[in-house]
Amino acid sequence: MPMAMAMPVTTDCGSGSRWSMVSLKSALPPLASSIKLPCRRRTPPPRTRSPQLVRSFSALSPVNPLHSLGFSDMSSFGQNFTIIDNGCRFFAMRHGRRVPKLNRPPDQRRALLRGLTTQLLKHGRIKTTRARASAVRKYVDKMITLAKDGSLHKRRQALGFIYEKQIVHALFAEVPDRYGKRNGGYTRIIRTLPRRGDNAPMAYIELV
Amino acid sequence: MARSVETLVVGGVIGDVLDMFTPASEFTVQCGSKKVTNGCDIKPSAAADKPHVQILGHPLSSNLYTLVMVDPDAPSPSEPRLREWLHWIVADIPEGHDATKGRELVAYMGPQPPTGIHRYILALFKQEGAMEGRIQVTDVRANFSTRRFAAQNRLGLPVAAVYFNSQREPAAKKR
Repeated sequence: MPMAMAMPVTTDCGSGSRWSMVSLKSALPPLASSIKLPCRRRTPPPRTRSPQLVRSFSALSPVNPLHSLGFSDMSSFGQNFTIIDNGCRFFAMRHGRRVPKLNRPPDQRRALLRGLTTQLLKHGRIKTTRARASAVRKYVDKMITLAKDGSLHKRRQALGFIYEKQIVHALFAEVPDRYGKRNGGYTRIIRTLPRRGDNAPMAYIELV
Repeated sequence: MARSVETLVVGGVIGDVLDMFTPASEFTVQCGSKKVTNGCDIKPSAAADKPHVQILGHPLSSNLYTLVMVDPDAPSPSEPRLREWLHWIVADIPEGHDATKGRELVAYMGPQPPTGIHRYILALFKQEGAMEGRIQVTDVRANFSTRRFAAQNRLGLPVAAVYFNSQREPAAKKR
């Protein structure tokens, strides 16, 4: 119901009186989803007949909605967009986020962790930075858990992660004896002196 | 000195090679000019010669000590088939003196880790009395057991221990 749609829009923004609702109504396609801002936007309706509650939306939105209330031109749209797809819940702090980024984009991060687990399983003890050592624990434990299971599917999953297949076969042969009784915690991290070149805190990570 | 025992536990020395003990003596180990602390890095080239081991204490005391150096990560830490590799045994070291004053039963062999990062453990045992000929020495260095050695020679628990890490140096000199 377009009329019902228009009502919340006029009451929301104080300066909405600048807009003529008739012209707005006629200009815009009959959008079913609730629109928070009276800006002209060409997004197709993602849902049908959503409740009138003006809530979060997953479309593009300018950073500060108040700024664009008085704008009739679209030129500011390009600069102000941030893509918010968690329902407008965007925080400036890192509270509760547990994935270590290791200062790398996701593909490089994955490659780094794969390489580190391969080397750790190959040599038994490696020396690396503390952040990398604590990030790689999870993946080494996962590989050892796959080896404990021992089925073909798990072996192929391990082959998809570890770079050298000899190591996978050796791991699957050795793990039941070595870690059969141990439940988790297959690695140990020992912190050590910082690196000379950049004073990075170093650690040894070894298989228990 | 509970602190040093904790680092030995964290490094896996107590557990893999030694049993839990309370440190009763102190000794310092120096490889070249570098003093060895628990878990420090020593290059094999720096440890190729015998380290300077000094037992702290009163030189006139009649206590004698035995020093054992082993590598529990031979040939590789991920597969320690030859645990432990014996490097050095010196017996009858008088207190307050260094290891050259004792009797070297097994000649010193420097660290030569083929692959991975190895731990090298120096354990000090207190002797009950002088052991002139009663100690039996094997010439096989592989699969040595410090615990068995201590039990056979009635040495009991160690009184001090220290360990360092070492890994193979790259052959070619870095530019």
